[in-house]
Amino acid sequence: MTVITSPTRSAAPAPAGAAPAAPAPRRGSPGKRRAQLTAWGFAAPVVVYLALFYAYPLYKNIDLSLRHYTVRSFITGDAPFVGLQNFVAIIANPTFWPSMLNTAIFVFVSIVFQFAIGLALAVFFFKNFRLNGFLRALFLVPWLLPLLVSASTWSWMFNSDSGVVNSFLEAFGIGQINWLTSPQWSLTAVLIANIWIGIPFNLVIMYSGLQGISPELYEAASLDGANGWQRFWRITFPLLRPVTTITLLLGFVYTLKVFDIIWIMTRGGPATSSTTLAIWSYQLGFGSLLPDFSSAATVGNVLIIIALIFGLSYARMQRRSEA
Amino acid sequence: MQVSRKARAIGVALLTAGVAATALTGCSSAGGSASGSTPSGSYTFWDPYPQYDATSAWGKLVAQCGAQAGVTVTRTGYDTSDLTNKALLAGQQGNSPDILLVDNPVVSTLADAGILTTTGENGLSTGAIAQNILGAGVVDGKTYGVPIGANTLALYYNPKVLKAARVDPKSVTDWTTLTAALAKVKAAGKKGITFSGINTEEGSFQFLPWFWGAGADLTKLDSPQAVQALTLWTDWIKKGYAPNSVIQNTQTTSWQEFQTGNFAFSENGTWQKAAAAQMGAGVITIPAATGGAAPVPTGGEFFTLPVQKDTARYKTTAKIVECLSQGGNIVTTDNTLNYIVASQAGQQAQLKADPTLKTWVDAVGVAKARTGDNLGIKYPVISQQLWTAVQKAETGSASPSDALKAAQQAVDAKLTK
Amino acid sequence: MKRRSWVLTLVGIVLTAVMLFPVYWMVNVSFTKASDMRKSPPNLFPIDGTLHGYTVVLQQQLPFLGTSLLIGLGTVVLTLVLAAPAAFALAKLRPRGGGVLSFLLLIAQIIPAIIMAMGFYTIYVRLGILDSIWGLILADSTLAVPFGVLIFTAFMAGIPDELLQAARIDGASTWRTFVSVVLPVSRNSVVTVSLFSFLWAWSDFLFANTLDGGGDLKPITLGIYAYIGNNNQDWNSIMATAVVASVPAAVLLVLAQRYVAAGVTAGAVKD
Repeated sequence: MTVITSPTRSAAPAPAGAAPAAPAPRRGSPGKRRAQLTAWGFAAPVVVYLALFYAYPLYKNIDLSLRHYTVRSFITGDAPFVGLQNFVAIIANPTFWPSMLNTAIFVFVSIVFQFAIGLALAVFFFKNFRLNGFLRALFLVPWLLPLLVSASTWSWMFNSDSGVVNSFLEAFGIGQINWLTSPQWSLTAVLIANIWIGIPFNLVIMYSGLQGISPELYEAASLDGANGWQRFWRITFPLLRPVTTITLLLGFVYTLKVFDIIWIMTRGGPATSSTTLAIWSYQLGFGSLLPDFSSAATVGNVLIIIALIFGLSYARMQRRSEA
Repeated sequence: MQVSRKARAIGVALLTAGVAATALTGCSSAGGSASGSTPSGSYTFWDPYPQYDATSAWGKLVAQCGAQAGVTVTRTGYDTSDLTNKALLAGQQGNSPDILLVDNPVVSTLADAGILTTTGENGLSTGAIAQNILGAGVVDGKTYGVPIGANTLALYYNPKVLKAARVDPKSVTDWTTLTAALAKVKAAGKKGITFSGINTEEGSFQFLPWFWGAGADLTKLDSPQAVQALTLWTDWIKKGYAPNSVIQNTQTTSWQEFQTGNFAFSENGTWQKAAAAQMGAGVITIPAATGGAAPVPTGGEFFTLPVQKDTARYKTTAKIVECLSQGGNIVTTDNTLNYIVASQAGQQAQLKADPTLKTWVDAVGVAKARTGDNLGIKYPVISQQLWTAVQKAETGSASPSDALKAAQQAVDAKLTK
Repeated sequence: MKRRSWVLTLVGIVLTAVMLFPVYWMVNVSFTKASDMRKSPPNLFPIDGTLHGYTVVLQQQLPFLGTSLLIGLGTVVLTLVLAAPAAFALAKLRPRGGGVLSFLLLIAQIIPAIIMAMGFYTIYVRLGILDSIWGLILADSTLAVPFGVLIFTAFMAGIPDELLQAARIDGASTWRTFVSVVLPVSRNSVVTVSLFSFLWAWSDFLFANTLDGGGDLKPITLGIYAYIGNNNQDWNSIMATAVVASVPAAVLLVLAQRYVAAGVTAGAVKD
């Protein structure tokens, strides 16, 4: 029997179907303590790594957002402590709600399409046909291009006058769409580019999820008279739930901080039509001739807080479902 | 058995910690500047010319001037938009380079941050440099750097397209005649003018000749003259004299559009003069609203000397900078960069070698610094609102007067904080 | 049945072609002359093209490919060394508070790269590893380690405990069990994590830009900057650099794809 496990093991006890827990021989208290020490010994390097390389930049970022830094005090380091004033100022800023909205739309639409297309492609490539391995590998090529290049290429393709997308549309009689230069289309343009870049990741993960499903289940279902569509919805999709959850969660985390694509294609413009929180943060810190590090750090922290809220809700959902 | 298991666990932890520590303090490889104090014979130089490596004429000149001062110079080229942040980060960590070549509107920001030395402190001489070009490096009466050269904007034209449309380039003397010329070009089936109206400093840079040419002032973004200037651009876009892509064009992509041969005019800079000559394009000064040459902003980088812990270094650093920025060297350098020399003597030398530079020398003569008029670090704030307003108007999401009014309000809000 | 297989192959080819069209466009631009860059409508093929981009790249960029390779391999090694033991602990050894660690690893991935880069700058200046390959390896590993732990944990959790019990009964210590039993069985996930970390390190630009000034030892992503001058950008060279930089990674991908697919979730352990 194939072992199907959930890749989402954050909190704890083994999911149904796996072998019982307690890998260390229970020999009473000293044995348990030793086991704990061994366990932490294995995990120690990562803990040190996390503290040094993630906690420190995070701490610096929080410091930047709780003080009022000017260019001068950034150098000398003696910025006054202002508490939550920066946060209040950011929320009161007219760009705040547009960028929150854009971020929500960008993340939601990206994930839905990346996941759906990735899953559809995974199901397609799971069928047996010539060249399917080779083609599947080619699908991963967009992933290894430096983002500078992918974003620039999409920029060129979306150019209003000399872009190939508009030439293609014109061949079908559709008028010129100002993909990157009109407030109505700029978000759509960066969405298309981002979805394109995210498909390979989803394809890979969902494909391996499909491999974890026992073919016997499909055989049994066919014998009972289920057609392809029913097999997908009754067997495949439910059994993919753990993989789906982790893909969506990672997709959420990664899409929330997407920056290069939007910056290179539209710089968040025109006006604020494609500005997301990540873009806004960069704009404040590095996008003008006069860096405003405190505000940039504040927006960055808002981003992290949003992700934390979702992460905690997910963890709580996990715990509840395994209880 | 029990002891060894515990020991094993601790051993594992210690071993991995040890590996981590070794990795962290591990070998610093050669190339680039190290942290802390550099050895006395080695000076660091950061410039925004990543396209020139050590074997280029510029790279060799830098090494030469270093050798003349008795030291080795390690030069690194960065993307110009990154240089400000890199300079600030380095300044914060005491890791500043000895010589920093930065785009001129950034000089006042870096000076305000306190990471640059004044000519009083570093002993650099500024004698022969034209005042209007030096202006960008002067903050509160103190000079923080010297220009490597100046460049500015003018109107390139394609003689073939103008001839086909029966337009005489000499007839373009003010805004009315320019717009009329564009109309004729469009009627003849070609495209009128291309420029860069993007939401970055390049966009502001390109808009300023029109802004100043209408008589507007950067301290008042919503004046009627400013609205007039912005309306000129938005009308061109509406009537199809300028393509929609100007909203997203950098100066490079705008030039590429001009190179397709379908455009009559292109607003671009001195650095394209060699490419322009190759394609047979001509150049005229940008007209002001009612005639005459519009004031144009100065482009070009400045040599600055960041603050160092060891102040004895300034003497040698100043020597290197003087070698690079004065004398015969500067004329060669500026010819390579396609800039105009910042001193009169240098300009004469350039004109003697190439009389076609006259338009440019004249333009640079009337150019002004963006951070001039004592705007200093107010300029970046104003510039950002200006390019935002221009974008809003270009895309039609706000009328020119509304966009500029909002811009001025934003500037006031930010500057009174 | 065979006809059906060919129809599917055809559909697969069409889908792949659509997906890879932007990559094709990149290659197209790399052969386009500067004066044709903004031609409207654009050329679908680089008729009257130029080899200028490629000539320049092959002359100047090859050493940077070597640096990128070194950084990529270093990142792989570091990621595996950090992630595999930690995942083993989380999956099998169950330290108390392991759930918190998993959660922290998930959240660690949300920190925007620019914040990380600025924090690293300070650390690196103090430690003297700015502008060094080691520094970049360390920085690039932060892209891969949390994800690596996730993948390994998922996989290792599926290893039957009987295997581990058997090793223990034979007298092996935990470390021995890890090295001799767990790692060989996890070969597929090792390949997967290696691939991801290599690719992410290969295409990283932000860390390279902030933490490595340039000089002779810079990765290929920074090499592209040689063509982005202060006033002029040389697009066919930029795209040519990207094409040249993509080729080795693409080859690696095609070779390793078999393992990648199989390695991500448990499922390689059958009775």
